[in-house]
Amino acid sequence: MNILVFTKRVPATQEEELRILGDGKEVDLSKLPFKVNDWDNYAVEEAVRIAEKTGGTVTAISIGDAESDEVLRRAIAMGVKDGFLIEVEKVLQDPYARAMLAYNFLKKENIPFDTILTGVQSEDDQFASVGGILAALLKVPYSSMVIGIDNIDKDHLVLRRELEGGLQERAKVILPCVLSIQSGINEPRYVSIMGVRKASKVERKIFKAKDYEENMSSLIEVVKWVYPPKKGGATMLSGELEEICKQILGIIKEKGVYQ
Amino acid sequence: MNVQVNRILTCIQCGKCTGSCPEAGKTPFNIRMLIRKKQFQYAIEEGIPWYCTSCGACTLRCPRDVKPSEVIIDMRSALVEDGQIPLSLQKALEDTFVQKNPWGRSRSKRGAWTEKLDFEIPHVSETKEKRLLFVCCIQAYDPRCMVIPANVARILKKADFEFGILGEEEACCGNEIRRIGESGLFEELQEENTTNFKEYGVKEIITLSPHCMNVFKKEYGDTGINVSHYTEVVWELIKNGALDIKGQYEKKVIYHDPCFLGKQNGIFDQPRNILSAINGLQLLEFSRSREISLCCEGGGGRMFFEVETTYQRNADLRVLEAIERGADMITTACPFCVMTLEDPATEKGQVVKELSEILMEVL
Repeated sequence: MNILVFTKRVPATQEEELRILGDGKEVDLSKLPFKVNDWDNYAVEEAVRIAEKTGGTVTAISIGDAESDEVLRRAIAMGVKDGFLIEVEKVLQDPYARAMLAYNFLKKENIPFDTILTGVQSEDDQFASVGGILAALLKVPYSSMVIGIDNIDKDHLVLRRELEGGLQERAKVILPCVLSIQSGINEPRYVSIMGVRKASKVERKIFKAKDYEENMSSLIEVVKWVYPPKKGGATMLSGELEEICKQILGIIKEKGVYQ
Repeated sequence: MNVQVNRILTCIQCGKCTGSCPEAGKTPFNIRMLIRKKQFQYAIEEGIPWYCTSCGACTLRCPRDVKPSEVIIDMRSALVEDGQIPLSLQKALEDTFVQKNPWGRSRSKRGAWTEKLDFEIPHVSETKEKRLLFVCCIQAYDPRCMVIPANVARILKKADFEFGILGEEEACCGNEIRRIGESGLFEELQEENTTNFKEYGVKEIITLSPHCMNVFKKEYGDTGINVSHYTEVVWELIKNGALDIKGQYEKKVIYHDPCFLGKQNGIFDQPRNILSAINGLQLLEFSRSREISLCCEGGGGRMFFEVETTYQRNADLRVLEAIERGADMITTACPFCVMTLEDPATEKGQVVKELSEILMEVL
């Protein structure tokens, strides 16, 4: 089975205090470290595992700036055969535009595939919709929140989707298809720095996004970046340690956490 | 045949390594047997190499220079390259790659410990002596350990001893990273730190953690930089009169030798000299101290993950012995030792203080 897997380089924001610049048109990314999008890490691992089981190859594709080569090398170190970078000149947030760019690229370059995997969403923009839009453009089936692939056949897959309330849905999906992969589907292997260095020797092809911009309009316009409104609700406890502990115990008893 | 394989083949299976190993007998880790298996190229169970605390006792006592603790690092490297390592270690390594510290805290907050001080510490490039106080990850971020750099900064300031810091430019020293077996990441950290040291003309490094000192001294190659642990510097300052210990400290204090300070780098006396210079302080010793000090099990990556076996931890034994010897408190000069000892100590009503915490009470 030949698989294409999308992987994105995103800022590592978990521990950071983000700053909005100027009149709210931009977030300051200048001092942030970057990493692979967590969901894509699971998608790449899943793609490699499927290929190991069924044969075939995996190609990683990244839409981003030149630095995004880093996540392609990482994917190659995990077992992906090669990588394509669709290099954009400025940050492309709109999920429709991203999906259209990917669609135009796949069509124009005539890239064959049996399955396309994406992460459920990216940590930065969190639209969780590029996979779905891409499937619609390609006119192939789409399954979101995939948490397990149970069976792989010549013309279809049997997979499990994660639903609310701890339920899962088992679905049969006809190939070719697009799947968005949920975190937790596997335990991604560790990628060593030596592995990434070795992967540098594998060719990654670079394509310019401007060659694939047909019908690529943005449907969403970011008006302004804003901080969430400050909410009340926090209670500050004061006094000696023993007194504070008593107060905490009182509160958790009152809230029914501890009887 | 490479040097390391040669070394393994010279092992005579005398068992001195296992005899000195802090994990032997109570965990499935048997270093002599692992070397034997390597000699015959037998498979090694994946979970086993992760027990090693990198205390270095086996390597120090081996009569054939097999360097068993280095063999463990090689075994771990193979697992790292294969991608099959415990999840929590994976996270520590990935966090170190992204944020340059194994806890994954923001690099921009690496200098946050300085906010508690009522004076400014210059960047090392702005100092006359080009003397760097290297903070270390755990002491830059962990709330328990953040007091240590603040204390040492206050002590050095009191002695009018010029020093600077790198702030958010400081990256993990890589001592633990190398021992986890991630040699590529270690090289990156080494390169980043060395580039900074060169760019800012650093002539001297004072480390707070013995782990950082060890790696700068022994594994960064010839940097031409003089590296010392802060206890060496502080003892010199006390000796030459720059620091005056005024206070009384009527306590029985037992000193725990950190492996990377003591047995691996021979710094036994300076911390003891400092403690002995304090009026009223009665210095006690563990039955296993100095070269044969019992490892606290916080090294070699063990700070970042728990082994599967349940057994009585060495830190627990240490605390029990301290109580038995009538100590009012345990002191040590390593942040990892502080962290591992403090858990069982708190549980048993014993106190653990990092050496600088005692000093701050008497200066």
